[in-house]
Amino acid sequence: MSADAEKIRRARAVRELRRILPKETPAPFDREPLAELLTRVSGKRMPATSFARAWILGSLQAKLAAGYFAFWLRGKFADADIKARLKSEAQLAAALELFGTMGYLRGAVMKIGQLLANLPAVVPEEVAEVLAALHFEAPSMHYSIVRELFLDEFGCEPEEMFASFDRQAFSAASLGQVHLARLPSGENVAVKIQYPDIARTIRADLRNLRILLQPMRLSGDWQPMLDTLADVERMLLMETDYDQEARSCREARSLFTPDDGIVVPKVYDAYSGKRVLTTEYLPGRHLREYLATNPGQEERDRFTRLLVLATMRPFYRTHRLFADPHPGNFLFMDDGRLGILDFGCVRTLSDEEWRLLLELDQAVRTEDEPCVDRCIARACLFDDPAEMEPDRLATLRRSMEWNFEPWRTEGPFDFGDEGFYRRGIDVLAAVARKRYTRAAPLHLWLSRFIFGSRAMAYRLKGRCDFRQLYRQEFPDPASP
Amino acid sequence: MRITEQAKRQTRSSILEKAAELFLAKGFEETTTRDIAKATGLAAGTLFNYFRSKETLAMSMVAEALSRGRKDHRRRRTGDEELAEDLFLFIASGLRQLKPMRSILGPVLERSLSPFPRRSVCPEGEAARQAHLTAVRGILREHGFAAAPEHVAMTLYWSLYLGVLACWTNDASPRQEETRALIDYSLHWFVQVISGTGTDAGGKHVR
Repeated sequence: MSADAEKIRRARAVRELRRILPKETPAPFDREPLAELLTRVSGKRMPATSFARAWILGSLQAKLAAGYFAFWLRGKFADADIKARLKSEAQLAAALELFGTMGYLRGAVMKIGQLLANLPAVVPEEVAEVLAALHFEAPSMHYSIVRELFLDEFGCEPEEMFASFDRQAFSAASLGQVHLARLPSGENVAVKIQYPDIARTIRADLRNLRILLQPMRLSGDWQPMLDTLADVERMLLMETDYDQEARSCREARSLFTPDDGIVVPKVYDAYSGKRVLTTEYLPGRHLREYLATNPGQEERDRFTRLLVLATMRPFYRTHRLFADPHPGNFLFMDDGRLGILDFGCVRTLSDEEWRLLLELDQAVRTEDEPCVDRCIARACLFDDPAEMEPDRLATLRRSMEWNFEPWRTEGPFDFGDEGFYRRGIDVLAAVARKRYTRAAPLHLWLSRFIFGSRAMAYRLKGRCDFRQLYRQEFPDPASP
Repeated sequence: MRITEQAKRQTRSSILEKAAELFLAKGFEETTTRDIAKATGLAAGTLFNYFRSKETLAMSMVAEALSRGRKDHRRRRTGDEELAEDLFLFIASGLRQLKPMRSILGPVLERSLSPFPRRSVCPEGEAARQAHLTAVRGILREHGFAAAPEHVAMTLYWSLYLGVLACWTNDASPRQEETRALIDYSLHWFVQVISGTGTDAGGKHVR
């Protein structure tokens, strides 16, 4: 190939890459591209059939995910030799094209799309809302697949097992779908059923993802990123293990009493298996529908308190992180209770991770700044704060301070305060823009957990005495 | 002495039963017609009065399983299925009947159903193919699909079906989930292609 042709080819590849990239320095509240996205999504008539829907939703997710990956990766080469950067970008453009079409689209691509797009630094609230809606509008399996799955799992058809079974799923997620049924004993139940072969799809898609990210392999963040992807894979595969989810659900249920106002549905073991999970059906509204009823402040405050308690108690008592706190997993019940629905994505902290968090907690409370810095350095995989650039340390300290703000505030904390929420977005956007994303895998989940639950509480516009709840749930921070 | 039709049927079914046991125990390739005749208590020559070859015998088993699958499909369908779903139920019902033989089916299907030109066509395999495709044509008609050139649609379908069978006989995933996903996607694709509309809905049953 002549030098000119090579130059043209490279320029074309870079142009193509730039076309799909988000803006270099997105303002967190820049509405223009967002408005476009929303118009595109809401203006498009949803095809009636599952396959076409899967295709379109899958592509949207894949494009979003690809865009964010590219945005993130480009920064890795900001200081590199321009030729090396262009070469990598050209490779990346081809790889991204592959990424947009790979996989079954129902599995990991979709999930990863949600996960990345939920990274709050680059995603304003409205995008998260659109993505949350996609959780419910994911494609569904037709009933013949469900019947075959039941025959394999239980040796009989759904109608033979249940007194009644709705053929149409009433809710769908990327890895499964939920049908309403009634047990022979009369109880209404929710039957969650998993798409066939989803675990293999996840493994295959993540393998492709690692290949796609090969241009990054020479950067210093390669290993931490592989660790994070391995953690993502582990968590996604965990979501396909309904036995594990049943255990998590039972454990969480045992943590709450009727007086708490929090309901974790009962698991029906005789009607559950590896691919089918049958739980008590909880009637209620999801956040968007609940807000449409225009609830009063007192009610909003009450639900905010329940939301905090629902996530705080498992965290402090059993060191489990409810790592998927999106609106689809919570139900606002008419009797004032809060229902928690999905325990597929629960991250258990290792002893070492727990000790680090305790140490940080203690350091923040006693305002021991050197110790706070040491904890931040360790969380970001540095041996010592001195190894970190001063701006990196300062930015991450700001992020950490925002995380701990409710812990440090006496009296009611207003999660609906736009100033607080904006500060959170600003600092997380700064972390992403400056590429200070190197961290142990746990922090991906912590970030999801903290921002996911705060985004919900912000939309709820609720207040609660966070510090009092913290003292109630974790009376002696020094104990292990 | 004249053998009654009932006695013939009993002998035939006894041969099939013993052959199935031997195939599963020793494998299709390792089992000989002599083994089958011996296990059934027949002379080898007598066995050939019933089945021309080991392949014919095995394919008869397959054909009977598929026939039971067709009956199951008719029994199980509700009439509310869209075309892709109906075809899924049809294929899945057949595979469920074939399942006990899955481990020995690869070489049997390869010899009896291969789409490539062969010196001698297995009549049982051909009959099974025709019966299967007749049922598929019936399903397509019931959903109002008559426009696509039939030989094209049937060739396309049969290619997909053979691919599904090939995947299924080799499928190491738990409960052959990989094949189930493959059937789902293949059928959506098939329906899209024959409808030529980019939609996979198909019509509801017209009956």
